[in-house]
Amino acid sequence: MNRLKTWEGGLLVVFLMTLALNLAFAPEFLTVQNQINLFQLSIEKIIVALVMTLVILNAEIDLSVASVMGLSAAAFGFLVNAGWGGGTAILVCLMIGLAAGAVNAALSARLGIPSLVVTLAMLIAFRGLARVLVRDESLGDFPAWVTDLGQKGLIGPVPLSLILFAALLAVLGVLLHRTGFGRQVVVIGTNAEVARFSGINVARVKTVLFLMSGTVSALAGLLYAARLGSVRGDSALGFELDIITMVLLGGVSIFGGKGSMTGVLLSILIILNLRNGMALMSITGHIQTGVIGVLLIGSVLLPNLVSDWRARRARS
Amino acid sequence: MPQPLFEGSADVTQSPVLELRSVSKSFAATQALKDLSLAVMPGEVHAIVGENGAGKSTLIKIMTGVHRPDAGEVLVDGRAVTLRSTQEAQEAGIAAIYQEPMVFPDLNVAENIFISRRGQGLVMRWPGLYREAARLIDQLGVTLDVTRAASGLTLAEQQTVEIARALSLSVKVLIMDEPTASLSAHEVARLLSIARALKAQGVAVIYISHRLDEIFRIADRVTVIRDGQHISTRPIAEVTEDGMVRDMVGRAMESFAVKAAANPHGAAMLSVRGLGRAGVFRGIDFDLHKGEVLCLAGLVGARRTDVALALFGIAPATEGQIALEGRPVTIRSPRAAMDLGLAYVSEDRRKLGLALTLPIFANISLASLRKLLGAFGLIDRRAETALAEGYRRQLAIKSPDVGIEVGKLSGGNQQKVMLAKWLETKPRVLIFDEPTRGIDVGAKAEVHGIIRALAAEGVAVLVISSDLPEVLALADRVLVMREGRQAGILPIEEATQERVIGLAAGQERDAA
Amino acid sequence: MTALLGRFSPQTLRLVALALALLATVLFFATQIEGYLAPRMFNRITTSAAVVLPLAVGQAIVVMTRNIDLSVGSILGVVAYIVGDTLGSLPDLHPVLVVAFCMALGAVLGAVNGVLVAWGRVPSIIVTLGTLALYRTFLVEWSDARTITTAGLPQWLVDLPQATAFSLGALEVRVTVVLAVGACLMAGAALAFLRPARRFYAVGSNPDAAAIAGINAARVVALAFVISGAMAGLSGFLFLAKFGNITVVAGMGMELKSVAAVVVGGVSIMGGSGSMLGVLMGALLVDTIDNSLTRWAVVSEFWRDALLGFLIMAAVTLDTLAARSLARMRRGGGA
Repeated sequence: MNRLKTWEGGLLVVFLMTLALNLAFAPEFLTVQNQINLFQLSIEKIIVALVMTLVILNAEIDLSVASVMGLSAAAFGFLVNAGWGGGTAILVCLMIGLAAGAVNAALSARLGIPSLVVTLAMLIAFRGLARVLVRDESLGDFPAWVTDLGQKGLIGPVPLSLILFAALLAVLGVLLHRTGFGRQVVVIGTNAEVARFSGINVARVKTVLFLMSGTVSALAGLLYAARLGSVRGDSALGFELDIITMVLLGGVSIFGGKGSMTGVLLSILIILNLRNGMALMSITGHIQTGVIGVLLIGSVLLPNLVSDWRARRARS
Repeated sequence: MPQPLFEGSADVTQSPVLELRSVSKSFAATQALKDLSLAVMPGEVHAIVGENGAGKSTLIKIMTGVHRPDAGEVLVDGRAVTLRSTQEAQEAGIAAIYQEPMVFPDLNVAENIFISRRGQGLVMRWPGLYREAARLIDQLGVTLDVTRAASGLTLAEQQTVEIARALSLSVKVLIMDEPTASLSAHEVARLLSIARALKAQGVAVIYISHRLDEIFRIADRVTVIRDGQHISTRPIAEVTEDGMVRDMVGRAMESFAVKAAANPHGAAMLSVRGLGRAGVFRGIDFDLHKGEVLCLAGLVGARRTDVALALFGIAPATEGQIALEGRPVTIRSPRAAMDLGLAYVSEDRRKLGLALTLPIFANISLASLRKLLGAFGLIDRRAETALAEGYRRQLAIKSPDVGIEVGKLSGGNQQKVMLAKWLETKPRVLIFDEPTRGIDVGAKAEVHGIIRALAAEGVAVLVISSDLPEVLALADRVLVMREGRQAGILPIEEATQERVIGLAAGQERDAA
Repeated sequence: MTALLGRFSPQTLRLVALALALLATVLFFATQIEGYLAPRMFNRITTSAAVVLPLAVGQAIVVMTRNIDLSVGSILGVVAYIVGDTLGSLPDLHPVLVVAFCMALGAVLGAVNGVLVAWGRVPSIIVTLGTLALYRTFLVEWSDARTITTAGLPQWLVDLPQATAFSLGALEVRVTVVLAVGACLMAGAALAFLRPARRFYAVGSNPDAAAIAGINAARVVALAFVISGAMAGLSGFLFLAKFGNITVVAGMGMELKSVAAVVVGGVSIMGGSGSMLGVLMGALLVDTIDNSLTRWAVVSEFWRDALLGFLIMAAVTLDTLAARSLARMRRGGGA
């Protein structure tokens, strides 16, 4: 518990620093519209990060999330351009996400193949399916109401995606920290055998999480398509890097069991502000990605080094 | 006759190959070994006997370099040595094999044998390797295909590979820690002949086992330790079972606080007929009554925990019937067992019973979350804390508050938290596996009191225990198992340590 | 039948199954595509597989130690680009030195992974996901958006893809193929006969026993990543030779192909086992399917990645199910 509080304390400090950095560059940074833009740029990633938090706390990983996003977006573009109604297309895409989650669940939770391998293979497969649907074109021509939802404000200036993010944050936060299901997730991540010996249906919990991950990824893919107004075969390519970094930087242990939604929220805020600040400093997108890579490794390396140092001190 | 160096040392003219002089070792508050002295002669089979918690595993760890003594010295061939790792111990000629064989499943037998040996050169010469491996295996009097992958071997065969590995390192002292726990009678015989083969080569074998019959078959001398201290070392000819047990337990047989008579109990709650799991155990028959404490006694490897795992649905039975209050039931999952009113308190609290990094209240509520859920599945935090507080008082769990990580508590308090978790499920049948393993005397008494109170309330209690005095103090009846079979059931009036051990070790067959 | 199967080790059976799968695939496509069995097709497939093969060899060694290396595609790109760039200023560098330089550069990049995984104790999935991004970023910055073209490369390198090492009747075997297959077979020989190389298997088979047996697991794991990097460097060389024109996206996605080749090739994802012969056949099978699909009219080429993913999944699932039924058979028959 203490270790987590220290980590979150550190995150808060870093967040304030990135906030200060952005303010220094652009004094009008804190207007509502600017903040909305800040979130919008990565809104789909941060939505998926919320679900990924539960998956990683459960001592699993889902590397296929970005590919499911891409597949869902591609399917939407494909269906709409084939004459389907926007609403029906959305439903089908969500079902695709659910099916993707079901495949991941069946192979890892039920069959026992490590989720790393399963979701890595699905990362390839789903991305491939997206390419089959979209080929090398760019599909657009979405119904106006879809792009309006994706790009314009829904309640005042706040767009649908941001509302969904806030709602999901609240729901998943409560689910994780306050419900019986969330408790089961954490216990399984801490020690799956203890969970099993206490009567918890481990396979069922894991299945539910993978289904959630697939469905939310599909939803994020739809939001992405709506926001951009078009889809390509490589939509959302490589998003899993940011998503996993957001979760691990937030203090969630890659081995499961430890972490909180608060930490992930802080880490999201840091990464959003960092990317924004870097953009303001004219740092290219590529270098930004490199920085994320460093953050990813650092977020696991740092606690290891600290605990090594502490252990050495305790021994002497 | 020259004055013997140690009580009953066989040949005083030989010098010990391994010697411990006044070795002491403590961990935090516990004194594991106190001023212990021991001498092992080359080419002898030296048995070490002691109860759980007597200090045997610490002793092994000191001999194999895992721990260093706080006081005293370790001598090999008369020279004092400091062993800082298992590597250094191996180089000094001391190796150990345990219940869990440490083999590489994907490598073949020959490679497994020679994996630790130094100075073998850069290139693997397979034909020569196979020949040498075959020779070593032969020396042990066993036949094995040395080109086979180790994963295909039985446990006994893997053990043989480990022993051959020790031989390849020119071991002088081989420690065997409960090596026959999971072996069949035939495999035990083979292991004992391997021990004799080692003896013939001048290797000293330190044989640690509960199984008195094996000790009588193989040992040259027997050392008994108790509470971390050396009690006695005698040549096998001077050893009797009674004497060993007396030394182990430290009390004369008569003054045991044995339960005088069974408590009155009610109807049969749990009935088991012909229960078995293929390849693990079979033929278990008993009735467990309301308010009764039935103790499952036996030696390490009797498969008692497997019976519990079958009753609790973790490793379901493949044959036989289970009935609860007369109604036949099938139990295929822990949830099913729990729904029927069974609870299983595991023997391994750190790995299977408790989530060590979670707070006390989270552990206590773990098996009863359903009851604490309100609207939307939200946990009623106040009720959860109140629940934990209640058990803290009732079971006297020593902790400043219930929000502390369970991993930080002492063994006894951890045991109580685990018990609280299961008590909350209000079980009709409570299976308690090694209830007082690794906890101090005070907590032990408290746990016994809790068990008695539960029985008084009408719960049917099944206690699995390797602690004979505990069995005799708690049980209304004692069911003794041996190597996966039922050896007999004794009502407490007829149960004595000798009879129980007799059934457990195989020198008697009881028709009950 | 079961008795016959029981005579051979599971690994041998796996290799035989793989060989049969490869044969079946070739025969299938031969019926579907005109001129499939011609020497030209042989060259296309083998030279293409030659680029992935070293990558797969390195990946296999890493996977044997219970780790994974997702950064190899980026390492390939960095090496191909930097070496291609350097050759512009040093055109007279001896070919052997060029190959050595490629492998050395790759080894350094691999060493970063190795240190972080072995001593930083950061799980390999995290480290290599991070270095995948980092190395690509580094490449983009270094390149300044320039493209390496064949104009800047020495002639011998440009001509290398066409150079033939020897002929088997009508079939010409290219130098690049010999290089890749040679590296693969050398790795296989080392793993079978060099004592230090056996430790890769030991560490992956039982990490706890490895510590007791006196094996420095950290060093072994770090070395695995260094080798993976060096092999990626070799692949970078072959990539440079084959394509000549290198952009900053060179090698993107190839790490997934290497994982596919490894998994299909029978290397266990649990670590501890795997043969280079299997990796060779796995890389061939993956590349054959890939190359054949582009020429098969029935299925659009856009199915390539999807089928690759499904292939990996099928291979791992079948392996898991087979291992389980084998264990059950053994348990049922034994005590």
